[in-house]
Amino acid sequence: MIGKSDDIIIKTIARIFVPFLQLYALYVIMHGHYSPGGGFQGGVILGASMALLLITHGYDELKRRLPEGALIFLGSLGVLIYAGIGLICLLLGGNYLDYSQLSVILGVDAPHARSLGILGVELGVGFTVMAIMYSIFFDISTGGILPEDQRREDRAEGER
Amino acid sequence: MNIFFVAVGMGLCALVFLVLYRAIFGPGVFNRIAAISAVGTKTLIILLIIGYVYNRVEMFIDISMVYALLNFIGCIAAAKYLEMER
Repeated sequence: MIGKSDDIIIKTIARIFVPFLQLYALYVIMHGHYSPGGGFQGGVILGASMALLLITHGYDELKRRLPEGALIFLGSLGVLIYAGIGLICLLLGGNYLDYSQLSVILGVDAPHARSLGILGVELGVGFTVMAIMYSIFFDISTGGILPEDQRREDRAEGER
Repeated sequence: MNIFFVAVGMGLCALVFLVLYRAIFGPGVFNRIAAISAVGTKTLIILLIIGYVYNRVEMFIDISMVYALLNFIGCIAAAKYLEMER
């Protein structure tokens, strides 16, 4: 599943397609309060674009662009953004995730602060969902064995 | 005009069942993949018609676009899986 595809049509389509997919995912995240969508849906589309790249361009290409350490970092960063915004509201004297308290920091009135706070939380959700969706797909398609481990094992087998 | 679109949507819903027959009983995996892809395309059009009937096209067009994108990715993933099996 994570091998490189030989078909030039599939590879070209994916290369043209992926930037639009990611732009659309950003639109879904940013436009979440006016239309269907939000952090989770946009994150799923971002993760799907990465999965498409993994299917068509192979593991070695993806390892260069999005290593597994970055996935763990992004997943934790999203949770940190979400919990951090909630905690800042708590420290400013409101309830947890009471965005109107953010108006002191951001310097705008309460409705604007509420809108910006929701946008920040949605961004955090988007990061986490993207990283976790992609890593679930990656773990299922490799079966838990990374290609470099497999290669090293094969080489050891050959020497023996 | 609304009656016309509702009728078209009902017709498409009926056609989905015909394709679903191919997806369940169809000989071979490739017929099934093609059938599932066709069901996805019909669902997309039905979503747009629902949006038109309820006067909320700008909302439903987002959903149907995501549906089309994920349908395409799912189709490629199934094809890749079959290529690996060989």
